[in-house]
Amino acid sequence: RWLASGSLFPLSCIHTSTSLQKIGKWEKKNRIVYPPQLPGEPRRPAEIYHCRREIKYSKDKMWYLAKLIKGMSIDQALAQLEFSDKKGAKVIKEVLLEAQEMAVRKHNVEFKSNLHIAESQTGRGRYVKRMRYHGKGMFGMMKISRCHYFVKLVEGPPPPPEPPKTGFDQAKEYVQQLRNRTLVHTL
Amino acid sequence: VLVLIRSPMPRLRSLLQRCWGRLERGLWPGVFGGQSPPWGPALAVQGPALVPQGISDAGESSAEVPSLLESILWMAAPKQRRTIEVNRCRRRNPSKLIEIKRNIDVCPECGNLKQKHVLCGYCYAKVKEETRLIRMEIHKKEGGPFNAPTVETVVLYEGEKPTEKDEGKRIIERASKRPSWFVQD
Repeated sequence: RWLASGSLFPLSCIHTSTSLQKIGKWEKKNRIVYPPQLPGEPRRPAEIYHCRREIKYSKDKMWYLAKLIKGMSIDQALAQLEFSDKKGAKVIKEVLLEAQEMAVRKHNVEFKSNLHIAESQTGRGRYVKRMRYHGKGMFGMMKISRCHYFVKLVEGPPPPPEPPKTGFDQAKEYVQQLRNRTLVHTL
Repeated sequence: VLVLIRSPMPRLRSLLQRCWGRLERGLWPGVFGGQSPPWGPALAVQGPALVPQGISDAGESSAEVPSLLESILWMAAPKQRRTIEVNRCRRRNPSKLIEIKRNIDVCPECGNLKQKHVLCGYCYAKVKEETRLIRMEIHKKEGGPFNAPTVETVVLYEGEKPTEKDEGKRIIERASKRPSWFVQD
């Protein structure tokens, strides 16, 4: 990128990297650098952020796949996506494989199976309005929707699923709320 | 070409247009109690859809008895906009979420994932490729359609000789090593 300053053209020192219009917030999250850990601290698990923009799919339909994957280990997620019939499943599988490779190469992850999916989200991409022609000269405007997909992989085994809330827990919370009531603006 | 400009009640206009179309074609004779269609414009009724524009489409004059037409206009329509909370409850109901599949195993041959009741995709692709090559050889030997022989076929790879069992059979030579999964009897 940086040419030797003894070259002919004086303007060659300007870096000519392709400037994307906006580097999204999710991509920037990979750039944070923590200060080195003290010897006594527990090891901070590696976090890898990856996303794909402007996928030609609906964000609502993609959300179901993102919800399916949410707390799983990466192997289980890949297995589920491989046998899912949805169009977005193929895209998300590619994203996960890319992220796994990034993790091993750049983010100092030792075992590629030791990752789990901490967050997986969908976002709305740019929509385009088009005409949809009906019979008898009628028309409607349809929108061609696109979506983004964001995933955060964290090193380590997946966390155990939360036990569902029982009635007893809810009753205990209710009683606790009643007990927390106090009189306001009084002696 | 009829290009409709958006009027204040587009659905009502389209509905009225459809009704009028049906009336014109005589598909709805029962409405007017046996009067001969088509009939000329009558009194304009105090319906809820009085739009003063008279554009190139047919005039929307109505029947003598207003209650008949108004009864057609009572179609089911939502009264209130469904809030996003209600929409979310419906869309995220557990019955609508994708279920996780518990019938995924590992193929003992190649080690890829496979569903229990389905053939392994990788192994199937391998076999498909090999059969494609065999079929190409068969095509070269036969040289055209409708030349299939009446005897059985045997596929032999490099370095294999036909045995006594393959006496009267047609022999297809494949110029490569025998794949490990293609067992020779």
